[in-house]
Amino acid sequence: MTSRYLVGRLAGLVVAVVTVSILAFLLMHAVPGGPFDETRSPLPPAAKANILRKYGLDQPLWVQYARYVWHALHGDFGIPYQSPTETVLALIARVWPVTLVLGAIVVSLSFTLGLTLGILGALRHSTWLDTLLTSLATLGMTVPNFVIAIWLIYIFSIRLRWLPTGGWGEARLLIMPAIAYSLQPLAVVARYTRVAVLEALAGDYVRTALAKGLHPAQVVVRHVLRNALIPIVTLLGPMIPDLFTGSIFIEFTFRIPGLGKFFVTSIFQRDYPLIMATVLLVAVLWSLTYLASDVLYVLIDPRVRLGARGR
Amino acid sequence: MSGSRYIAAAVVVLLGLWGVGALSATTNAVGKPLPADAAPPAQQVITGLTQPATTLDFFVSVYKRPQNVDGNSWSDVLSTPLVRLDKDFNLVPAAAKSWEASKDGLTWTFHLDRSLTWSDGTPLTADDFVATFRLGADPKQAWDFAWFFSVIKGWDDAVKGTIPVGQIGVRRGADPYTLVVTTTMPAPYLPGMMLYSPPLQAKALAGVGPFYNTDPATSVSSGPYLLQEWTKDQRMVLVANPKYGGVKPSIQQVVLKFADLKTEFQAYQANEVDVAANFSPADLQVIENDPALRAQYHQGFGDFRTYYVGFDTLHQPFDNLKVRQAFSHAIDRAGLIKNVIKQQGIAAYGFLMPGFPGSQNASLQSVQMYNPALAKTLLTEAGYPDGKGFPKLELWLRSERALGQAVGNAIGAMLKQNLGIEVEVSNRETKLFMDELNGHRLQLYMVSYGMDFLDPANMLGIWLSGGRHAWVNLRFDTLVKTASSMVGDPVRRMAMFHDAETLLVTDVGFIPIYFVTPGFMWKPYLKGDALRADKIGVTAWHWPGWDGLSTLHQSVYVNQDVSKYRR
Repeated sequence: MTSRYLVGRLAGLVVAVVTVSILAFLLMHAVPGGPFDETRSPLPPAAKANILRKYGLDQPLWVQYARYVWHALHGDFGIPYQSPTETVLALIARVWPVTLVLGAIVVSLSFTLGLTLGILGALRHSTWLDTLLTSLATLGMTVPNFVIAIWLIYIFSIRLRWLPTGGWGEARLLIMPAIAYSLQPLAVVARYTRVAVLEALAGDYVRTALAKGLHPAQVVVRHVLRNALIPIVTLLGPMIPDLFTGSIFIEFTFRIPGLGKFFVTSIFQRDYPLIMATVLLVAVLWSLTYLASDVLYVLIDPRVRLGARGR
Repeated sequence: MSGSRYIAAAVVVLLGLWGVGALSATTNAVGKPLPADAAPPAQQVITGLTQPATTLDFFVSVYKRPQNVDGNSWSDVLSTPLVRLDKDFNLVPAAAKSWEASKDGLTWTFHLDRSLTWSDGTPLTADDFVATFRLGADPKQAWDFAWFFSVIKGWDDAVKGTIPVGQIGVRRGADPYTLVVTTTMPAPYLPGMMLYSPPLQAKALAGVGPFYNTDPATSVSSGPYLLQEWTKDQRMVLVANPKYGGVKPSIQQVVLKFADLKTEFQAYQANEVDVAANFSPADLQVIENDPALRAQYHQGFGDFRTYYVGFDTLHQPFDNLKVRQAFSHAIDRAGLIKNVIKQQGIAAYGFLMPGFPGSQNASLQSVQMYNPALAKTLLTEAGYPDGKGFPKLELWLRSERALGQAVGNAIGAMLKQNLGIEVEVSNRETKLFMDELNGHRLQLYMVSYGMDFLDPANMLGIWLSGGRHAWVNLRFDTLVKTASSMVGDPVRRMAMFHDAETLLVTDVGFIPIYFVTPGFMWKPYLKGDALRADKIGVTAWHWPGWDGLSTLHQSVYVNQDVSKYRR
């Protein structure tokens, strides 16, 4: 049952990725302006035709798409127009690890701290601590990360001179981007956790467990958290692919050579091979995340069965 | 030994020590003597910030080189072009020691400096230049500056692919140190164009391909620096080239950090870079309020960039001269400078900026001067009293930042106030904008142009029919084409350019708005002749910047004050 379900879901994933690739391909070619439009003076038509021929852009769209798919199936995703000395795969292999390192720090920071603070807030419901945490979380959710980034740079780099304004390759360079990038997801995790734990605390089974004489700590860990995890997984799981594909604002502001900026620069430069690669990467990551959170339900909650039809 | 002998011996020893000390302290790693107030050689490092780049070489890609602002680049230092520009914009010999034109003005002969070699020991010869120009004309290379050398014989046909690149008019002369360039018409500005001739090495091109300078292992240099490190999207390190035969730089190491240019000012404030440009209005406010920063801010003229409003003069309503004149008199440039542009520009009444050869900005001032009453009258005469019946307009901007958007909005407001015409300002991204502009599909827009070489033939040449503008004037075409190729009568030539520009302004082919005067900041410990005032009193980081095409890198050094800044 489980394996059949997984095969079905993976087939769905392939369909989703193919659909996304066709849509992205058509959309990017529908946008006016091409990768080789001169920025100073018009090129002679014959010269422009030469360029288009060089990159295969003179072919009908369906031929271009078929060629792209054929090459992609053979592991060739093309050469990025904005970095012609490497392949698309080499570029992603170079810059994605940077984003992954920062993403991993941000995910662990925001989830460990966010869960802890959310649980604390729920357990100390309506106390000064809860009010403080809620206000901080609201602040964290509403102030954009680039505003926080600019303030951090102003205070710690320009005024105090403790940290460089940006760059990559030293551990201390991670401090400010990790803080600026974590605050918002941390706040979201804390808020959702608090609500989910509060709801679980109100459950009959909690009262029963306490009445049986279980230690309150055991009740929280075994019963409350386990039940609270389901909404948390649903809501927070999809945050992870976002964090692992990087933020253009954080990367720009702190001069981080990651993947995030290429989502934007590839579009502005009509870098067709890189647009396709980044779109497909996101599509695959999202599909996998949804699949993973569905599988997690089963592990957390024995009432959930994979592939079970509603009664 | 007597006391006086002790003293004499001590003096000799001390003098000896002083001599050794003085010698070792005043030359850098490549043996360049440093000025007396210079910091130690290890401190002769300059750090800059640039947008991410894929090449250092002009003939690989002009727009993907490390650039700072408005054409100011940090590139071409692995090469020696035929000529360079000094801070007064004089052409000075570089790889070419001298040059001359044939009697008919169609053939130029450049005599190369025989002492120049590549860092691998190969001599720099005409063959390197020939291979480089062939690469530029190669249709398979699809060079982004291929339009520029149209005047070279056979160039356009080679770019189109109708003749082999071997047939273009760039050849070796009688010996390997003579380069001969033939043109389709007399081109007195050709030596100026040859600023853009930094050669690639023929041998490396054949062996490795055009990107040989992206990897220190395959890189080879005929210029002042060598490539030591290039970490993609992060940084590049260049060190002074010990084998360079030209004027060696005092700065023995150049570090370029790749980043979004918006982060430049904060890095400058944190002493992480020595030079900065690209200031937001907020940055300028910070500079204005801080006397120390203000002293480091230098207003220059960049690449002689003109911002202007253009229109589709081939279709209604802008095919009517009166409409165009009405628009031109409705824009208050002085007000724009005072309230919006401030120190970032000066009012433009023509296309050529003061300081650029042939500029006549002052004498053109009256042609399109601000006169709202006259503007209203002209619009009424054109059949649109108080703007009634005039179509609603969209003013397109090309991916402008804060200042350009503010100027665009101010122009829209002036047209509404003075002519009663509704103008929506819409900031479009570059690719889309250029596609529409080059296709002559834009009704009303504001855009800028910065020069490619210092001759009116360049700036006025972009207004020829069939270029990027939807404005046609046959008399203008004749004047510019004739003057461009005129040899032997510079006074008459300049007079024809004056006539052409006057025609462009009086026919309102465009509305000049402002000339960009970009600010540059550099730390007070950077010194050198290139950073002192030029012949018209401007202290600037002169175009084209820290680049093999400029002499800027030849005189700049770090003085002892650096210890107060760098950590």
